[in-house]
Amino acid sequence: MGRVAFSPRRLGFIALNTLREAMRERILSLLALLALIVVSGAQYLRDFHFGLPELKFIADLGLGTIAAFGTVLAVVMTAQLFFHEIEHHTVQTLLAKPVGRAEFILGKLLAVAVILGAFCGLLSVLLAGVLWLRETSLLRECPEAITGGRLINYAHLAAVGLLQWLKLLVLATLTLLVASYARTPLFTMVMGFAIFVICHLQHLAQAASARAGASAVGRVTAVVARVFPDFLLFHFADSAGANEAWPWDQLGRVALYGLGYASVAGALAVFCFRRREF
Amino acid sequence: MILAGFAAVSFPLGELAAPASALLRRNEPALRLDSGGVAVEQALVSAVVGGFRAAAADLVWLRAAGAVEERDGPTTEAMLEWVSVLDPRSLYFWLNGARIMAYDIPGWRTEAAGQTGVLRDEKAHVAQRRAAHHALRRLEEAMKFHPASAVLWIERANIELNQLGDLEAAAASYRRASEQPHAPYYAARVHGELLRRLGQKSAALAWLIQLHPQLPPGEEAAGADQVLARIRVLERELGVAPEQAYRPLTLIPPRSFLHPC
Repeated sequence: MGRVAFSPRRLGFIALNTLREAMRERILSLLALLALIVVSGAQYLRDFHFGLPELKFIADLGLGTIAAFGTVLAVVMTAQLFFHEIEHHTVQTLLAKPVGRAEFILGKLLAVAVILGAFCGLLSVLLAGVLWLRETSLLRECPEAITGGRLINYAHLAAVGLLQWLKLLVLATLTLLVASYARTPLFTMVMGFAIFVICHLQHLAQAASARAGASAVGRVTAVVARVFPDFLLFHFADSAGANEAWPWDQLGRVALYGLGYASVAGALAVFCFRRREF
Repeated sequence: MILAGFAAVSFPLGELAAPASALLRRNEPALRLDSGGVAVEQALVSAVVGGFRAAAADLVWLRAAGAVEERDGPTTEAMLEWVSVLDPRSLYFWLNGARIMAYDIPGWRTEAAGQTGVLRDEKAHVAQRRAAHHALRRLEEAMKFHPASAVLWIERANIELNQLGDLEAAAASYRRASEQPHAPYYAARVHGELLRRLGQKSAALAWLIQLHPQLPPGEEAAGADQVLARIRVLERELGVAPEQAYRPLTLIPPRSFLHPC
């Protein structure tokens, strides 16, 4: 049977259907609810009377929630949404119609990207709202402690939220790549979390590779350093010093870095899925 | 095929993100560590906890704050250790942790021991010194992650001065603080003052004389007037002749007066 011509419209239908499927999944609702509760709970940090550092605590808690729950969402949801079609044998029906395998994979990826974007966007907006309210009340309580206007730069917060989404998108795409050839969702999820850990150990792999040279350890760590993306890069501005301007010029580069890895992983997922037998 | 695909793009993508990577290394203290053991520990923490590390450290700090309210020394110390491992980037945790160790914990231990009178005072003194040394070791650990931090040197100086009564060590620490980038102006002034208290008046005078021209005259925090006043006091105490007294640059007449037409 000849290959089906690629159709963005069919890709869109796949993505929309996957989004509807995701809304029916309880895990998404549960994670969203937990994340909202944790971020809202940051309001009660005021009982500790930390003063101005309370804003840092609220920001850390909110961004940490996005990172932690977002990671679980990216790995588990991607695996579930992919294998749901396979376990219910709907994928054969779908592919028997004129739906290309590339459209199927990319449609799933597009839906995951939209869900992760909505997740990061919703929580970032909620976090910004909580911070704004608390900052306003602190300005009223101790105006002499805060000079020079508001402390929090909400444009920075938005940029950090964008970087979080990019990291989760890369993780989801790599998970989808594993799913494209894996036989079980459990294996896919385990590999997804393993990839998460490996991608956070990149600088260690680079240092180990440089130190170990041509030995077996050196070769393995060199492969790890070359193949996997460095997830710490998406946190490059987290520790920007108080006396430094936020590095906006690097945001575009890191965004291209993330989109580059996501594109390659997506292309490889299509390649693997084309050769998959059901 | 998969490995080849990633390997093919990793180099150009790596080059694209190289400036961000350099910025990350500059601002992320754990990535600059030479010590293999600590570097591996930090890498594993980062890998396991990921982007949640700051929030995890905050939660541990809240637990430590609870232990402080309960005056539970062992739990407080354990939580302070944990918070530094989880997130060594935060100076707030290092500084406040050192303060709790140096100033709060020894008092709890003395109260818990329950003695009274002279014996209590002696035990309190020993506990205070032991806690101060513990806090100083914590600050030394912090300096591995923040080698150019003026506030860490200032905190060290304060503990040496207030808890150990070691003026010489405090003077040296204030001097180190004043040499760091973005150091507050008062660090250099206090170094000079401590030299004076140590009886090293000549050294204090020389220090303040080389300091004064560097202070911006219009800035209140710089304390240029205070430094000049201290210079005058020291010159009187040391019997410096008026013609050899320090003359600030602003008092030197401009050229047109020196070369009249």
